[in-house]
Amino acid sequence: MGTRTAYETHVSALDVIDDDDARLRSIIELGRRRQSEPFPAAWKTDANLLHGCMAKVWIVHAVEGDRHVFHGRSDALVVNGIAAIMTESFSGLTRAELLSRTLDDVRRFRLGALATERQLGMMAMLKRFQKLAATSQPEN
Amino acid sequence: MASHAEPLDVARVRDDFPFLDEMVHGRPPVYLDTAASAQKPRAVIAAIRDAYEHGYGNVHRAVHHFGHRATEAYETARNDIALFINAQSADEIVFTRNATEAINLVAASYGRSALRAGDEVVVTEMEHHANIVPWLMLRDRHGIVLRVAPVDDRGIIHIENLAALLSDRTRLVAVTHCSNVLGAVTPVRDIVRLAHDHGAVVLVDGSQAIVHQAVDVRDLDADFYVFTGHKLYGPTGVGVLFGKGNLLAAMPPYQGGGEMIERVSFDMVTFKDPPHRFEAGTPPFVQAIGLAAALRYLTAIGIGRIADHERSLLTHATAALEDIDGVRILGSAPEKAPILSFTMDGVHPLDLAVVLDRAGVAVRAGQHCAEPLMRRLGIDGAVRASIGVYTNRADIDALAAAVRRARKVLI
Ligand SMILES: Cc1ncc(COP(=O)(O)O)c(C=O)c1O
Repeated sequence: MGTRTAYETHVSALDVIDDDDARLRSIIELGRRRQSEPFPAAWKTDANLLHGCMAKVWIVHAVEGDRHVFHGRSDALVVNGIAAIMTESFSGLTRAELLSRTLDDVRRFRLGALATERQLGMMAMLKRFQKLAATSQPEN
Repeated sequence: MASHAEPLDVARVRDDFPFLDEMVHGRPPVYLDTAASAQKPRAVIAAIRDAYEHGYGNVHRAVHHFGHRATEAYETARNDIALFINAQSADEIVFTRNATEAINLVAASYGRSALRAGDEVVVTEMEHHANIVPWLMLRDRHGIVLRVAPVDDRGIIHIENLAALLSDRTRLVAVTHCSNVLGAVTPVRDIVRLAHDHGAVVLVDGSQAIVHQAVDVRDLDADFYVFTGHKLYGPTGVGVLFGKGNLLAAMPPYQGGGEMIERVSFDMVTFKDPPHRFEAGTPPFVQAIGLAAALRYLTAIGIGRIADHERSLLTHATAALEDIDGVRILGSAPEKAPILSFTMDGVHPLDLAVVLDRAGVAVRAGQHCAEPLMRRLGIDGAVRASIGVYTNRADIDALAAAVRRARKVLI
């Protein structure tokens, strides 16, 4: 209803920052803010841990009706900021919507200049979201 | 060989490295990740180009001019490498893809032919995964027993701790010559003597050591010595396995295919002698030629002179980083290669590395393919700055300044 999605909000927030140093600082600040929000210790399990990233990232998944919701946390600020962008942007979608998302959707954040999307683990996060959505049982 | 009349002229060396003409995020590069892979001098790039342009044909198979030239250059490279590490013969030099493949070759070929279930292999806590995983695989498939020698916080292997693990069941000791995390140089000669007293052979992982010091495999009396070309200013795709002639001669092939056979029928196959027995398929001969060019380049500068230069930069870097609040340097072995790992209190190594990259400073962050060592040190990861022949004081000063600035952003 005219309200922007979290995805578009993040894309445009990053888009207005035209310098990569400033973009990195904003990710770090976001990572710092999110780190002070609660993330239950019980969520930091091995099963929730995303491997293949240079810092630890835990991804937690919930299903609300036909919508998928994700929470993420990393011990590195940069990765925590990216996990915030990714989980917020890709939460609230149906399974079909989520499965249709690709690298192009990730590229629109324009974070590749900081390191490739692969190195930052963004693609690994999206793949994890998709796998969790694909293998979860729909509620009732 | 502690002092050399003329110190290294680093400005001249830097002219030999084209990567220094690049700009990184608008700044000249400060490349402090040589331990992951070294940049290449023009001499290496030219040798590779020359091999492709003027002397390219498959080796060992051709009667034509190009094949002869390539074969000659490849076998000359083998000889150059033998001389570089003072092997008795070029036949003791096997070309592989990298150090990892060289260790896998020994684990698979020597491991499965000379070791029996219940035989013991000893490694240390300080090994790179390349010198752990092949032995774990041999354990799981072949039933050997793996023992792990401890290191102390400084990165020192105390020979008595190692001795306590050795027995008449010990068949092989696989040890790094220099830690890729702590820079600690290990007492290889003592380890070899001890292992030989127990009738065990020794594989030395020289991937980091050979970049910073002269290596004499006969003086060390190492049975196997492996290293990787790309860290030694050579190309990717080539590694070296040195093995004593009598050991290689008794070892079965690692892979099968062309180049490594004498005769093939559907009833039987006979294999060539070493080293070709272990080089199935078209080998990385252009890369080997490039690696030989790297060794010539380093030899012309002088290995001792390079080591002196790097040692003084390590001292400078250690002092500069120690001076920064919250920085903790890992590893303080008395003999330390120019590899400087550190942590910063309250800062994740990845965050630090990403912020340093924005300042044009290339370092490595993470576990450095040495998870067991990280666990032993009680840390999740570290930042590693490593020094090479082209590193200068300005690089170190840029690192220290960037670390100070990063601390302000990240704390
Ligand atoms: C000590 C040590 N051993 C082995 C290796 C493996 O080298 P490569 O990946 O070229 O086989 C490395 C490099 O990462 C290393 O530092």
